[in-house]
Amino acid sequence: MLLNRTSSGGRWRIRPDGPAKVTGELTYLTDMTKEDMLYGLVLRSEHPHARIISVQTDKAKQLQGVHAVLTYMDVPGLNAFGIAHPDQPVLCEDRARYVGDAIATVAAETLAIAQQALEQIEVEYEILPPVDDPELAILDDAPLLHPQGNTLHRTAFNRGDAEEGFKLCTHIIEETYYTPRQMHTYMETEGGLFVPGDDGRLTVYSPTQHGFMDRLQLSRILAIPQSDIRIVSSPIGGSFGGKDELNVQPYGALLAVNTGRPIKMHNSRWESVRAGLKRHPMKITMKTGTDADGKLLAHQVYIISDTGPYSTLGAEVLNFATEHVIGPYRYEHLDVKGVSVFTNNGMSGEFRGFGGNQAIFALEGQMDRLAERLGLEPWAFRKLNMRQLDDLGPFDQPIAMTEGADQVWDAVSTSPLWLEREKIPLEGQSAAEPWIKTGIGAAFTMHGAGLGVGIPDPAGGRLELAVDGKIEAVFGYEEFGQGLIAALEQMLIEQFDFAQEDIRIIIGDTDVVPDSGSTTASRATAMMWKSLQRLHTPFTEQLLERAGAIVGRPAEQLRLSEGGVRKKVGDELLITYGELAKAEGEPIRCETSFVFPTSPTDRVGAHFMYTYSAVAVKVELNTLTGRVKVLQQYHAVAAGPVINPQGFLGQIEGGSSMALGFALMEDAVMEKGHYMTRNLDTYLVPTIADQRGKIEVQPIEHLPENDEHGPRGIGEVGSVTLAPAIAAAIHQASGKWVTKLPIDPSYLQETPFFLSKAVNGE
Amino acid sequence: MSDKAAEVQVPFQLQCSVNGELKTIAAPPSTRLLTILRDEMELTGTKRSCEIGRCGACMVLIDGRAVNSCLTMAYQCAGKQITTIEGLSANGLDPIQQAFLEEGGFQCGYCTPGMIVSVKSLLDDKPNPNVDEVAEALSGNICRCTGYGGIWRAVQRAIEGRRYWK
Repeated sequence: MLLNRTSSGGRWRIRPDGPAKVTGELTYLTDMTKEDMLYGLVLRSEHPHARIISVQTDKAKQLQGVHAVLTYMDVPGLNAFGIAHPDQPVLCEDRARYVGDAIATVAAETLAIAQQALEQIEVEYEILPPVDDPELAILDDAPLLHPQGNTLHRTAFNRGDAEEGFKLCTHIIEETYYTPRQMHTYMETEGGLFVPGDDGRLTVYSPTQHGFMDRLQLSRILAIPQSDIRIVSSPIGGSFGGKDELNVQPYGALLAVNTGRPIKMHNSRWESVRAGLKRHPMKITMKTGTDADGKLLAHQVYIISDTGPYSTLGAEVLNFATEHVIGPYRYEHLDVKGVSVFTNNGMSGEFRGFGGNQAIFALEGQMDRLAERLGLEPWAFRKLNMRQLDDLGPFDQPIAMTEGADQVWDAVSTSPLWLEREKIPLEGQSAAEPWIKTGIGAAFTMHGAGLGVGIPDPAGGRLELAVDGKIEAVFGYEEFGQGLIAALEQMLIEQFDFAQEDIRIIIGDTDVVPDSGSTTASRATAMMWKSLQRLHTPFTEQLLERAGAIVGRPAEQLRLSEGGVRKKVGDELLITYGELAKAEGEPIRCETSFVFPTSPTDRVGAHFMYTYSAVAVKVELNTLTGRVKVLQQYHAVAAGPVINPQGFLGQIEGGSSMALGFALMEDAVMEKGHYMTRNLDTYLVPTIADQRGKIEVQPIEHLPENDEHGPRGIGEVGSVTLAPAIAAAIHQASGKWVTKLPIDPSYLQETPFFLSKAVNGE
Repeated sequence: MSDKAAEVQVPFQLQCSVNGELKTIAAPPSTRLLTILRDEMELTGTKRSCEIGRCGACMVLIDGRAVNSCLTMAYQCAGKQITTIEGLSANGLDPIQQAFLEEGGFQCGYCTPGMIVSVKSLLDDKPNPNVDEVAEALSGNICRCTGYGGIWRAVQRAIEGRRYWK
């Protein structure tokens, strides 16, 4: 059944954070102000690559209203940050490696004075040639950006002998795929409020996807204990992976500690563009061969990923891409290599899909090309080579088994949209407007969730009966729009029979929440579900036993319900949660902590839980303009039970919209290390006018009996399969193969028949 | 002469109505309305995002028409009726806000005030817009989360809801 409001019935709920959002009442962290606050700004490098000879701050410091001008010399602790490997300077000492590199930071009484102060800082640079091509950057004669060289990370995975495998192949496709530097474009740019307390502690109100990681990183930078820092990190106006790494926090924190005054920071869009993360641009070369019947024999891949100047999660993204260029298919022989390369381009990092988007575009492109070469229907070709139920994962690792691959394959193969494909005449030409061509394509994936083997991936949460009688659910996760609070509320209502009014949800505050791990990698809802599974029995027992003792009945005869505890038989409310909270006794409180399930393998980055997804898409190509319109999408998503129908639909629709941008319009173009775009007038993301097509989402909830993992992640999977499906549809429409995203309209333009007549005629 | 010079030096005072209340605001005439609303009046429902009129997060109604407040200067607001997202729900939720809630026409919510203001302007002008008119009216409001599916449904529901409500 398709997922929509009607089919969801009573499970379609108004989000608890909704009223404050539609009325504008919700205070985002960048809306916060405080009396006495100063405005913080950052001076960033003018050049993508330069030696910093000197930084003169005297003039800036002398300006009236300026309270601090800080350079690297004022960083008390580690002058570096980075989630996986801290190598990005908080404030550059002697070298700038990209146009977002921070050199100084100022605090002033007004934004205008702070801006003036930045202009008064004199930086003497020796300009160095930018290393802007990752392929040149890894050559021996390239200037070194880091002492250890320009290679951040290499990956390799082998099975059998690919060279020998290719000798046995009847059909081989070789192709190189290019993907863009996509920008997250969260509507709320980075910022927040940094408040030094009278008790010597620092409170940071600034968006992040893992408050405890920010606390750890800031404690290293400030050289103060983690317990002296409180991170309040939700609500967030969008993140998509882009705010997981530190951004303005080091500067706000340093300025607050230095001045003893609250500091407000809120990036302009240009500041966000130049300093912020982007999706890794990748060049993926593939050679894939089959036997005469179409059975895949050998698959060879080389990924080169432009990670920009510093590590952040560049290595982890490459690990993910390496796993996903193998994907849900069987091969005799595999030879996969990848390299993530430092350059003087913009920072690349975590972004929804996490390397899967690039990998799946390339891999699915190979499958479509091979099918055509073999004269096979592309979906049938996939079936022929698809993984089987008990197969190991892409890295030959044990995985949590589901029937997802078959389920989503079947769903697309019988979908009306896919069945329509055969009816589209060759090259999809319409008689009335012969320059309009239509095509239908599809793509398929298994997408890993969780951080994978080799990275600490804690999870957990807490339930307690608060003194005012509210059931408090306390988790260290963040709400950046995905609907985490709504999902948690719905689980508490459906699994415990609480009423909405009984519940108070507390997230995003390191002073009060347990470390539930990061809100990334499509993991949070699954981990909340698992936490509640583990907490259900002990928390219920504690509540019922206390209630039983008070009302004088055995706990076995009682049940939790809306408003309080009732008799199992009958509907009589015996005691409210408020009364229960007032009763004497130990606090009622249950906490659980565990780790995200991982595969028993040594292979770093290998995943254990996967979401399977397939999408069919219909496009209309105007060959006069080369423009592509997406007319219709059908998504089949096998991710176990739908926790929150509205949130599920929103994640798939929203993810696919990002994929539409990735496929058709988005690229933060750089030239010689400089961004050619500064704002949303030159970086175009889909608007409502680009999203007029119908989108159908088909969740497949069935899991194998005995499955103990519950819902799989859906936060990213909507964003990874649309681009290759669009490319396949364009091929049906035009006969052209797309290798580069975003698709260049000029590549799809054709000389109209009437013009070619005129030119060729008399 | 001297009197006239003195008159010129009187600082500009913006007089306008904000959410139905007459306001007098001392601000240089070139101050952006976005700054006045957020920083002076603490009406932070109006959001700052691109500041060049591309994203619509700062949309407000000026005499009933949706305008990017980042591109509007104080002197342009003199004598005008300004309505922000806060003003739309002064007497309870507007049917448009209710429709966004029910259909899930938002996720992070940062674009939502501007989006709702644009829908309000559209539907006050054209109670039964066709899809082209909706696309045209909302194409200046970027939403990065929803993919616009929930927004299409919310607008449709708002059109129906307003009909019923009247």
